[in-house]
Amino acid sequence: MTRYTIITLLLVLAAFVVQQFVPAFTGWHHSRLLVVQLVFLCAAVTVNQPTMLLLAFVCGFLWDAQFTLGPLGGDAEIYSQPVEAMRFGYSILLFGGMGFLMQGIQPLFRQGKWYFSALLSGIAVFLYLAAEYGFITVVRGSPALSAATVRQMTWTATLTMLLSPPVFWMLSTIAGRCGHTIFPEAAARKRRRSFQ
Amino acid sequence: MKPLNLIALLLFLGGAVWALTRSERTVREIQRGYYSAIQPFLKSGSAIETHSRDFLKEVRHSKDLETELTTIRSEIGRLPIIEARCGELERENAQLRHALEFKQATNFRVVAAQIIRRQPATWWQTVEIDAGMKRGIGPQLAVLSHVDRHPCLVGIIDRSSDDRSSVVLLTDEACQVSAKVEESPEVGILTGQRGLGEGTPLLRLKFLSKNAVLQAGQRVFTTGRGGIFRANILLGEIVSVEKGAEDSEALVRPAVNFGDLGTVFVVIDKSDPPQ
Repeated sequence: MTRYTIITLLLVLAAFVVQQFVPAFTGWHHSRLLVVQLVFLCAAVTVNQPTMLLLAFVCGFLWDAQFTLGPLGGDAEIYSQPVEAMRFGYSILLFGGMGFLMQGIQPLFRQGKWYFSALLSGIAVFLYLAAEYGFITVVRGSPALSAATVRQMTWTATLTMLLSPPVFWMLSTIAGRCGHTIFPEAAARKRRRSFQ
Repeated sequence: MKPLNLIALLLFLGGAVWALTRSERTVREIQRGYYSAIQPFLKSGSAIETHSRDFLKEVRHSKDLETELTTIRSEIGRLPIIEARCGELERENAQLRHALEFKQATNFRVVAAQIIRRQPATWWQTVEIDAGMKRGIGPQLAVLSHVDRHPCLVGIIDRSSDDRSSVVLLTDEACQVSAKVEESPEVGILTGQRGLGEGTPLLRLKFLSKNAVLQAGQRVFTTGRGGIFRANILLGEIVSVEKGAEDSEALVRPAVNFGDLGTVFVVIDKSDPPQ
């Protein structure tokens, strides 16, 4: 289990490097593949709560380190209404929220019904983006949600969700190599059947 | 809840609060540390990206060639490839010549840079360029392009590492520019809009006078006030005007085609040149 935990942490770090080279799909409503969120969501359902929270903290912290914008400066007399920046660290809470959502259906996942988790990963990504957009709106004011933005969120969630089965397969293989199983109840059922 | 889970949750919340209360300076230091840690991956990744783009171009060429080979002999089939390559080089040459002319013609001290990554973040309109602190680039410097040798504003530098910088584009909501409308006394603050629309993104020129008399097609320039951008840099042209109860706002089409940006110029001194 410890080896598996360390490897999932390394996987998440690798996802940050991969994310650097995944472009936005401008032809598909500027959607993108959120590799970090995908690996985190898939890993979150396979580990216990403390490990999930550790992964959420690492992901949120590094995500904000990567993307937080600084103040763009300028004379306060001219730019009297600066656009508020998002606070560093808000993504930690978003990742934590997504992680809890994924762990909500962990009992089904442990029975081997990974497809529910795959579907939920898409929903979680959509909610993550919606919450992020909501945060920005709350901080900056003037609520505005265009159809293009909703399409961007939907496509991003769908694209990310479609890649969750290979990630689950990868995690399952890694767990197997570490002498651990991510589907313990399914494995126990299998063992019982083989004894009968 | 199990005690271990409770402790983990409390530690997580404590960590989140710690992160949320970091000062701007600490955040910048964290970001610098992060980017210097992933710098080797970024460098090799950029090289891989370039190679794969070249490879894809080659594949595209090969497919074209395949169809041509069915109709003409292989010796003749080579000519279009050479021609295409020449055309490509010619275009590249013209682009570089324009860039050089712009650099020589402008009064600004500029550093030329290539865009190496477009829109890395979901909600922020940013690009990354291949020049950083080693070439004198730092935060809050203006980034320009040119249309018919006239300087146009692209955005502003947000953060720099040794060899890379991140540019917040003019189309981002966070990028505010003090702007004036040509042949008019109107001045306001030009800013991008939240979220992405389909097609060309439009900018919003706010805080115009209540009875602003503006026409579509009038050009918008920087005023030079505010300490970041110099005066008379082209921003775009008026598309429409919306009158409000207290002030007016105008929609502005940016002068720069953000989808087709290749070379940009970072102005490395903020003060206006002597007239």
